[in-house]
Formats: sequence, C-alpha cells, structure tokens
Amino acid sequence: MSVIEIEALEKSYRVYQKKEGLWASVRGLFHREYRDVRAVRGIDLQVEAGEFVAFLGPNGAGKTTTLKLLSGVINPTSGKARVLGFVPWNRDNDYRRRFALVMGQKNQLWWDLPAQESFRLHQQIYRIETKQFQDTLDELTDLLAVRDLLGQPVRELSLGERMKMELCAALLHSPEVLFLDEPTIGLDVVAQHNIQRFLRYYQEERKTTILLTSHYMKDIAALCKRVVIMADGEIKYDDSLAGIVDRFSSHKIVTVLLNDGTQAEKLRDYGEVLSVEAPRVRLRIERERISATLSLILDRFLLDDVAVEDPPLEDVIADFFTQVSNKGSDDASDPFPTEVQA
Amino acid sequence: MERLLYSRALRWWTILRIALEERMVYRGDFALGTLMRFLPIITQIFLWWTIFETIGAEQETEHPEIEGFSFHDMVAYYLLTMLSRAFSSMPGLASGIALQIRNGEIKKFIIQPVDLVGFLLLNRIAHKIAYYSVAFGPFLIVFTLCWWGGYFDSVSLPWTTWMAFLASLIMGFLIGFFLETAIGMIGFWFLEVSSLLFVYMLLSFFLSGHMFPLTMLPDNEIIGRLSYRTIVDMLPLKYLAYFPAAICLETVKGDDLIRGLWIEAGWLVFFMVMCRAMYAAGLRRYSGYGG
Amino acid sequence: MTFRVNFLIQCISSVSWSAMNYGFFEIVFSYTGSIGADSGWGKYEYFVFLATTWLINSLIQTFCMPNAQEFSELIRTGNLDFALLKPIDTQFLISFQKVEWSSLTNGFMGLGVLIYSLSQLASRSPTPLVLSPLTIVLYIFYLGCGAAILYSVMISLAATSIWLGRNQSLYNFWFYITNFSRYPMEIYARSWGLPLFVLFTFVIPVLVVVNVPARLLADPLQSQDTWKWPLAGFALFATGMSLFVSRLIFKAALRSYRSASS
Repeated sequence: MSVIEIEALEKSYRVYQKKEGLWASVRGLFHREYRDVRAVRGIDLQVEAGEFVAFLGPNGAGKTTTLKLLSGVINPTSGKARVLGFVPWNRDNDYRRRFALVMGQKNQLWWDLPAQESFRLHQQIYRIETKQFQDTLDELTDLLAVRDLLGQPVRELSLGERMKMELCAALLHSPEVLFLDEPTIGLDVVAQHNIQRFLRYYQEERKTTILLTSHYMKDIAALCKRVVIMADGEIKYDDSLAGIVDRFSSHKIVTVLLNDGTQAEKLRDYGEVLSVEAPRVRLRIERERISATLSLILDRFLLDDVAVEDPPLEDVIADFFTQVSNKGSDDASDPFPTEVQA
Repeated sequence: MERLLYSRALRWWTILRIALEERMVYRGDFALGTLMRFLPIITQIFLWWTIFETIGAEQETEHPEIEGFSFHDMVAYYLLTMLSRAFSSMPGLASGIALQIRNGEIKKFIIQPVDLVGFLLLNRIAHKIAYYSVAFGPFLIVFTLCWWGGYFDSVSLPWTTWMAFLASLIMGFLIGFFLETAIGMIGFWFLEVSSLLFVYMLLSFFLSGHMFPLTMLPDNEIIGRLSYRTIVDMLPLKYLAYFPAAICLETVKGDDLIRGLWIEAGWLVFFMVMCRAMYAAGLRRYSGYGG
Repeated sequence: MTFRVNFLIQCISSVSWSAMNYGFFEIVFSYTGSIGADSGWGKYEYFVFLATTWLINSLIQTFCMPNAQEFSELIRTGNLDFALLKPIDTQFLISFQKVEWSSLTNGFMGLGVLIYSLSQLASRSPTPLVLSPLTIVLYIFYLGCGAAILYSVMISLAATSIWLGRNQSLYNFWFYITNFSRYPMEIYARSWGLPLFVLFTFVIPVLVVVNVPARLLADPLQSQDTWKWPLAGFALFATGMSLFVSRLIFKAALRSYRSASS
C-alpha cells in the first residue's frame, strides 16, 4: 500500500469580486459577485514509502494547496486522500504525530523566545520522551550546525538560520512523512545549498517520505528523482527528472567551433543563433531536424569542435510554464462568475 | 485662484471617495457594527425603566422624576447623547497622529506643502460623512420608533432651539477634533500616548454625560463652594455629549443656553489655538532632532 | 521596563473603569432604594451583583480574551496552520496560550467590593445575611460556570472570523451581548423585553452568568426561593450546552478555514 494515495482530489475557493469605484462598493453591500477559483482540479497521485517527490509549477498552480490538503490544514471540496492510511482532514492526533509540514513563508517558532523554548513546547505537545528528544535535537542541530544558536531569540536569527530551526522543530518527532513548501525561499546560495545537503542526507538516512515544492531547480535537481509538474490545478507530468527534457523540450543546443571565424554569420540559415563569440557559435535547432542539419553543417563548414546538448532544465521548465500559463489566462477569461444574492 | 479652489475641491472629493470606499469593503462588519451600536441603549432603557418604577412606588407618584428627567426623557437623553457622540467622537485620530510621529510618516507634512491639521480635519469630515450616510438609516429607524413610542414627548424644538442644537453639535465635533489632535501631538514629546488616550476616553465617557445626565451628579459642596456638579459643569468634556442633548430636551434654555454656547465657542477657540501651538512647538522639536 | 509600565497602566485603567461603574451606581442609589420595587436588589445586594460581574469579567479578560484575539489574528495571517498540525486538540491549544495578568486587578477590586458589601448585608435589617460554607462553594462553582458560558460565546464569536475574514466588530459584538448580563435578569421580564429575556436566557444564556451566583450569595429575597434552585439547575444545563454548541461551531468553522498565504 502506498504511503500517499490521492484520488480525484479537488479544492475550490469562492472569491468575492470587488470592483473598483464607489458605486460598485455600495452595490456590494446588497449583492455580490463571486468567482469560484479551482485551486486543485481533481488530481490523482500515489507516493510510495521513502520517495522524495518534487512538486513544480508556476505560482498558483495548486502545489501549496495540495500540501495543505494532505496535511489536513484545509478541507477539500471533493475527492479522496489517504496518508499513512489516515484521511488528513479528520485531523487525527495519531496522524498528526506522524507527519510534519514546513512552510518557507510562515514560521511557527515563537518570535521573541529562543528556539529551544519552542522545541520544549513541541516535546510536550508531541509527547516525545526526554531521552529521545535530546538525542534527536543533538543530531539535528549538529547536522544543521545551529547548536550554538539554540539560546538566541528567534527574531535575532538570520533567515537561513531561522529556516534551519523550523526544520529542526518539524523533525523533532521524527515524522514518517514530511511536506516541505518552498523551504529555501528567499535564502542565499550558501544557505540553500546547506539545506539541500541536509535534506539529502536526512532522507537517505531515515527513508522519510518527502514531498517538496520549490521554485529553485537546483533544489529539485539535487534532491528528487521523481518530479510532479502542476499547472492550473492539474498534474501535467509525473515522472523522472531526466524525462522532463525529452518530454517538453523541442530543441537542442549545438555549439560549433569554426575553423574560420569569419563564416559565423552564415550559420544563421541553419538554426536560431543564440550567441556568436567567433569562432564559437551557439545554435538552437529543432530536435527532429538535428541530424539532418548537423550533417549539412559538417558538409559546408570546416569545424574544429562540435557539441550537442540539451537546453538547461530551467529554460525547459520556464518554457513549459509560459505555455501553460498562456493557456491558463485564456481559461481565466472564461471564469465562472456566479451571481449570488446576499 | 479659481484653479486653486478647483484643485482643493477635487482633492477633498478624492479623500471623501476613498474614505467611503474603504468603509464599504467589509460589508458584514459595517452593517453589523452600525446596528449593534444601539444595543447598549436597550439594556440602559430597561435599567432606567426599573429604577423609575421603583422610585414611583417608593414615592407613590404616577410620574416619577430624577432631577427633572422623566423615564421618557431619560431614554431620549441616551439617544441624543448617541447622536452627539456620533459627531464628537474621533476614533483612531490621536493614536493615528502619535503613530505617524513615531514611525516618521509625519515627515511628509514637513516636506510637502500640506498642512497637517487641515488635512486631518478634511479627512475626518470625509470619514464622518461616510459614516452618517450609512448610519443615517439605523438612526432614523430608532428615532422614529422612539418618537412613536412617546419617548420624545417633551422635545418640541422651536427653530431657535433647533439652531442652537445644530450649532452645539458642530462645535462639539470641532472640539472633539482639536482636543484629540492635541492629545495625539503629545507624541512629539512622549512615545507612548495610548495610555493617556485611554484615560481621556474613560474620563470623557463618565464626564461628558455619556453614561448618565450630568445633573444627576451630587450637589453637596466638597471644596469651598464647589460640588461635583459645578466642577464637571466647568470642564469642556460636557460639550461632547451632555450639552447638545440638554439643549434638545430644554434642560438648558434661555440665558443659560446663550451663555453655554458662548463658553463652548470659547473652548473651541482655546483648543484650536492649543492645537496650532503644539503643532508648531512639536515640529520645532522634531526637526531639532533631525527627524 | 516598558512592559512593567504597560502593566501598571493597564491595571490603573481597569481599576478606574470599575471605579466609574461603582460611582454610577452610588449615584443611582442616591435616588432610589433598590433596583426594582420589592425585588430585593438594594444597594449592597446590588453591589454583590456588581462585584460578581467584575470577578467573572476579570477571569474572562485574563484567560480568554487574549487567546480569542490571538485566534482571530492566527486566522487572518494564516498561521492557524501550525495549530492545526499539532497532535493536540486545536480548541484546547488556542484557548490556553496566553494570559493577561493585568486584568486580574479587576478581580481584586471585585473581591474588595464583595467582602465590603457582604459585611454590610450581615446587618441587613429584617433578615441579616448568613453565609454557609455550602453557599460559598456553590458561589465559586457558579462563577466557574458563568466564565465557561462567556468563554463559549467568545470562542464562537472568534471562530466566525474564519467565515467573515476580518472581524473588527467582534469585540463590539461581544461587549453588546455581555452587556445584557450586567443587570438583574428580572428587569428584562416586561412587555417588549420578554423576547430579549427569553433569547438571552435560553438561546445565548448570558443572563444566567452573573445572576445565578450573585443571587445565591446575596440572597436578595427569600420569596424567590421558588425559582432560585430551578434557575441554578438550568444554569448547569446551560453551561454544558454552551460548551457543547461552541465546540460544534468551532469545528464547523475549522472546516471552512482557508489558510491565507503570507
């Protein structure tokens, strides 16, 4: 049986459409227009124990909503989900003791108190035995190199240090399932890298099932083998990281080193020139035409070197997002304004 | 000159419109809040009903009175003080000024060619109009109901009284405004004015006559020839609630009324001058510190 | 430093608020002998009532009010998420996080007025007041019941901010409802007050909050014996129902929680 099972899960919000202007405000007193926003549109997903799954998608794709549904913070409109055999939104204490949610945008530690105090409260709430609590805390603070900061008020910590403390707090009760919502948002490269390293190590050690959403491709490339791409509240892709390029990239990047740099301009006939640093030229060529074009180039030019690569993952995904979000905005112009009498 | 006037009018209209819109966004709060404001009066009515009945039984009279107030007058008094408080209360004014001083936003009034006091006054008028435009409904309903119920029987309002009532309401609004602005300006000297404000609110609730007609205060002399009643009578707070209501119920009339209005105008000038002086002194102090 | 000054200021302001209330009724009782002819609520009986109001209010303001405020704030910021994740009853967690000690001053004021009034009543002319240990125990018990009813009203009101979004009028609303509990309940039992009497006794039972313990202690009129005990029994039932219904409302509200993103 899978650790996470989602079936036709759907969540829609009703949003009051406030209109600009005085008259509209007055009218709003008596009668309002609502719009249903379908944040998650009937998704299906299965995650096995010990998997590290990344959720990718543009803002508003429904990733965070999905995590909130799975952690029982909000109730769904329809559909089913089970995590560790529990229905999340029943908010069973037994369930709540076995998972954790970390949100990069929100913090749960007491702002004016040292992190240590929040951890102790955690110990009481999760009923962790003192010995186990101390061991786990020692291990986590060593791994994250924050042991010296335990006594400092949280408000005095840097953003990166605070995030590490949030992770500590979330992992104190050794959850079997961990939901991470943009854990590295706003952090500098070093702090991001530290947290990635920690998560990889922790996951390999404990085989915790982790669902991660992030905007940073580096996070995902470093951590996850399986990637789920969401857009418009639907799952558009669910497979390996490597597969994304095959599936969504229609082009390859060809770099040629010309023997005679003056001929660089002539290459424009063969593909979209990305850059010319004579004698080096980078071209973007459609995938189906790659072998034909290459042989033509080899025929007509004298080359010192040639390299064919996939475009960077980030570009591929950015392209894909733009495609779906363009489509998405068409969708938005066809909303569902339901007039509701107040 | 004409353009200046026009641009002023335009600015005024913009402030008014934005204030109105702001108040309309949270529909639930707004409608509920306005209606709920009348609820405390209901408990007050029942309390006084019982008290007057008790006094009637004790003194064996059909028409018991407290200091010239019958039960119906008492109800009318509470409704009228609600009305005068709607003019004279300035929610968020003083604390807003103190906050602007504390977070440095006050600088924009030093830099921009806008007068702080004038701007605040315009803003407040806009807020009040926005409030009345919606509160008018509930007020009208409650007052009409009570009129039919006979609670306003002793209110006849010849046009002179009517004018005096109106004048006292408008002056009450201005006194409330300048008084609270002055309290807010204390923020130039002390960081913490919220506690002071709370004391002011408590005092004004009790001594403005919002809680009970000030004529009920004991009249026995405590210091020299002064009694509680005469002391409170000399304070400016009574113009915020008691005085307009007393005019309407004709508790104050004739020469007393004329004298009362002059004294009220005197207090108004006093607070206007004080407000100006404090603003000037405060700005000197503020820029002295280098902001 | 600032904390201590703040604390002091809050103490002073709550004391002066009570003092004004006291002053108001001093004035009222200079015009009348009792509230309600033959009701038995004479000056000192009524001051027992007033002191009881303060005691219960100070309990609420010390233990419940700061938490209800915090709860509304958690909803607004979306930080209720974390409370929902914890393996502990959410209502319990958010109800007992904060304590506002300065509000206890009101309670001490109440205690002072209570003791003074009771000592005055001990020499009440026709029927001097005699307190039995049982009365005192019952009084304290019903103070707790009263606080529990008000807690239920407050938590229900706070929970509605999940539906209404911002909820500024929440505390006004709270003030207006509890306003009814401040006077002896029989003053509403007349003409158009009857619907209010029924509403605030049987639907939102705020009228029993102060009335039951104050009545048990001050014992304003022997003849009320006929309905004093049924009323006390009803208060017990009302406490249970209030807690139960407020829990239902709380749970229903959580189902609609949207979790605002910061």
